[in-house]
Amino acid sequence: MLRQIKPRNARSKRALDKKAPKPIENPKTTLFLRYTTCSQIVQDALGDLNQLRIPLAKKFTKKNEIHPFEDATSLEFFSEKNDASLLVFGSSSKKRPHALNLVRTFGYKVLDMLELYLDPDSFRRLNQFKNKKCAVGLKPMLLFAGTPFETPVQNEYTLVKSFFTDFFKGEPADKVDVMGLQYIVSISAREPVEGEDSKPSVHLRVYLIRTKKAGQKLPRVEVEEMGPRMDFRVGRVKEADESMLKEAMRRAKNTLERPKKNISTDIVGDKIGRIHLGKQDLKELQTRKMKGLKRSRDIADSEDEEMEDVISDEEPVKKPKRV
Amino acid sequence: MADTAEKQAPLPVTVSKPTPYTFDLGLLLAADPNPLSLSGSSNLESDLAATARDGAQALLNQLLSTCPITDTPGGVLLSLPAIETRLPREKPLPPPKKETTWSRFAAKKGIKPKTAEARKKLVYDEASGEWVPKWGYKGKNKEGEGDWIVEVDNKKRNEGEEQRGDGRRERKEKIRRNERLQRKNEKGQKRGGK
Repeated sequence: MLRQIKPRNARSKRALDKKAPKPIENPKTTLFLRYTTCSQIVQDALGDLNQLRIPLAKKFTKKNEIHPFEDATSLEFFSEKNDASLLVFGSSSKKRPHALNLVRTFGYKVLDMLELYLDPDSFRRLNQFKNKKCAVGLKPMLLFAGTPFETPVQNEYTLVKSFFTDFFKGEPADKVDVMGLQYIVSISAREPVEGEDSKPSVHLRVYLIRTKKAGQKLPRVEVEEMGPRMDFRVGRVKEADESMLKEAMRRAKNTLERPKKNISTDIVGDKIGRIHLGKQDLKELQTRKMKGLKRSRDIADSEDEEMEDVISDEEPVKKPKRV
Repeated sequence: MADTAEKQAPLPVTVSKPTPYTFDLGLLLAADPNPLSLSGSSNLESDLAATARDGAQALLNQLLSTCPITDTPGGVLLSLPAIETRLPREKPLPPPKKETTWSRFAAKKGIKPKTAEARKKLVYDEASGEWVPKWGYKGKNKEGEGDWIVEVDNKKRNEGEEQRGDGRRERKEKIRRNERLQRKNEKGQKRGGK
């Protein structure tokens, strides 16, 4: 736990305000960390992921004796100190070779954790692909392909989807430049096969997008691998605490005033309101009042129908009181 | 080369899959719920690239066909809709602001904060067509105080009593009353221990 700082000048106050909880949040920062033992492959993977996430990423190179699934307090400390709510912790041991721990925090406490084992044979670094890379800080397009990501129940794959969506989300933008749509991150997994022990691996590929004119309004898209290329096996998972997740999923009430319904302005500038009247009940309609049509008479003298007839004949003659 | 390619067949720009894609355009995200078609481990990369190409094509088609496009000198901009996917926050929602005694009182009385217009000292005087200060030297609140002739108001004063200077007296009394209330408030605050 960091000590509580009381701002003594405007600069430190601004810095604290930047970190403070907000109804609409800052983009999440990712922090890359490593364990005391961390294979070159995992280090490269961390570096490449960092490269993709710059400027919303920080990478530390010192060794940390942390076992996230046993005790995550150190990670929580790092999260608070650096105001980073996504952490990627790389480690490699005999039992768990080439492991990447993806950690998400909520309020500087670990929300959920996921361990992915990198396949050392298929891994390719970003700079092993000899082509022009996309510009730094661009918003990637995202593609999740395969049935495992679509299961309605929470499992490792939905967590992978949720984590990587968070990871590649970046700055929220309501407008994007079409020229900025330069690359796509494709995360795919095949469907699990019955009678097979190992879970299907997750393939992370990053492709540059090349558009060609197709003689129509829409262009023809071709892809070219940019790297990195990573295949993961899913390992241990720590799912989010239910109450914590509920708290984390809360959204700020929309402060924007909603437009008033049924009020419009026409071209002249007159305000027009549409009002709702209840359904008109014709039985309750007030018709002309006459002695003969009184309800009490209606029930009492059912036999003298002739009288009523006489009255109805009279009707047009009488002058109506009001319309 | 290009000519022959064009003559053969225009490259298809549509993607048809058994289950349609789902999109979250605010995130530039597409989800392909179809099972991955992998023919074998030898050509895994080409299969993955093909899926990615289809996905990218579908996503771009969706983006270009549904989002409003604006052409600016800076480039062609796409307006994205709001994000639909629910993602966890990084910090808890800030607690709602505490209601102060004043804000409760103001809400009860319907007092709105002063606007920039209300804060201005000068006010337009319709009669003279000049901008005059609201208070102070030659202030608007002293209107009618220097009049050389004053109408007799029998409701306020009996006949024969001094009418002159009533406006000033009223104004001064208002100030005193306000100061009295102010002192009372300050005393109350001290007692409240805040």
